[in-house]
Amino acid sequence: MSRVVEVPEEMDHRGFEELLIELDRAFDDEPARVLLNARHVRWISPYGLIGLLAVGRVIRDRIGHPPAIEAPENRDVRSYAEFMGFWQAAAGIFDVPPADPRVYGPHDALLEITSIRSHRDVHAVVERVRERAAAILEKKLHYPKPSVIQFSVMLSEVCQNIIEHSDADGWVCAQTYDYKRRLGREVLMLAVMDVGVGFHGSLAAEHARRYGESWSPATALEAALLHGESRFRDPGRGQGLQAIRRQVVKWDGELAIRSGNAQIAIVPEWDDLPPLQRDLPPFPGAQILIVMPAREEGGAR
Amino acid sequence: MTPLPPTRPSVAVASLYQTYLVTRHTGRAVRLTIERMVEERPGPSLTVLDFSDVAVIDFSCADEVVARLLHDALSVPDAAAPHYFLLDGIEEEHMDPVARALDRRGLAMAARTSARRPVLLGRAEPEARRVWDALAECGRARPSELAGCLGGDAAACRAWLARLDERRLVRDAGEAFESLFVILGADERGAQP
Repeated sequence: MSRVVEVPEEMDHRGFEELLIELDRAFDDEPARVLLNARHVRWISPYGLIGLLAVGRVIRDRIGHPPAIEAPENRDVRSYAEFMGFWQAAAGIFDVPPADPRVYGPHDALLEITSIRSHRDVHAVVERVRERAAAILEKKLHYPKPSVIQFSVMLSEVCQNIIEHSDADGWVCAQTYDYKRRLGREVLMLAVMDVGVGFHGSLAAEHARRYGESWSPATALEAALLHGESRFRDPGRGQGLQAIRRQVVKWDGELAIRSGNAQIAIVPEWDDLPPLQRDLPPFPGAQILIVMPAREEGGAR
Repeated sequence: MTPLPPTRPSVAVASLYQTYLVTRHTGRAVRLTIERMVEERPGPSLTVLDFSDVAVIDFSCADEVVARLLHDALSVPDAAAPHYFLLDGIEEEHMDPVARALDRRGLAMAARTSARRPVLLGRAEPEARRVWDALAECGRARPSELAGCLGGDAAACRAWLARLDERRLVRDAGEAFESLFVILGADERGAQP
């Protein structure tokens, strides 16, 4: 049996949740083939782009071969997916012909879709974004000079989360947007995802017994983000997410971490994401969204 | 017979080899190199971690390079050959990851900024910080002299200095205590042609 899974028209972190509900329904039928239909996508964020890769990987692992994907018809979405390197990353995950190697030209993407497999990839990412981050954070978002280093630190920690805790590969991607509808300002969106063991699986051996029956993906996320717990007993571990949380709060930004069937978020006043969600459609690994808004002119923090 | 004053530590500067000190993996490799460098020097030592070429240090790497290095050195105390560490050329942007990494392990380390300002990073009681700051300013002092400057009690000041020496933040030089910057300064002067 074949199933078509419709990709929402607005494929951001909210669209990702809609897509997972669709996917859940599709899996109920135990399909032999799956087509991800992205033809009607009108807008896609970095989270949406790598979300498609993550969904593709999960379908591939479930049905045993790469699913098909229908490319977006919208010209803007199409060209955006191309210059962010979506089709290169999609090879092997989806049943698509190999794409030509990416040619890096001048554009305003902070970080195209990049696979994270080892510490070398984290080094490469941090080194590559340095100049672009300086241009975007200082000139476009009006952040002070030290924020470039703070952003590099945050990027490094969030990517290391994949290597240290997921036992699987992952992706990272970042871009600035004019976030008119929600905020009336530009934002920088950073998305990081993997489809590994997730926080619940990673922390279970060390912490599950202490939490008893209340142990769940939601409590695992609380333990990691709010209490700095790690899967290691070493007190030096577990600092990365804590540091990211502090920095995001300082920048009046948003941080959302989804894992298993739960999502925890540090929510600024300008958004209405629930701080903790349980009973979401289950999905492996961890999916992290960071949104950093432009500073209002003259509004020093 | 009067006891001999403690042997002056040998000074060595450890380059951190990387502009981007990121990832735990990198931090571990750098720390092992520094540990080998410390082991190869007999007797008391002061190892200066030179931050002047570092652009970025993240929290994981700060934990491996700085906090674990000191933690491991303190966990095998050698009274005859203590190992001291000092961070040099550190920028404002590096301080948060380093200070927090040290704090998580209940440690502190002496540092000198790129503008040559002494700063104590990590966890220390307010009184210990006051004593450390005062000694960093005067370089070398007897507990009674330092207590006089601080308007405090000499015995209490001696106790704080002894504790700071145990934590490898100042050096007990016999009759007086000295700041680690004095040892570094003497070495730098000695190195001048």
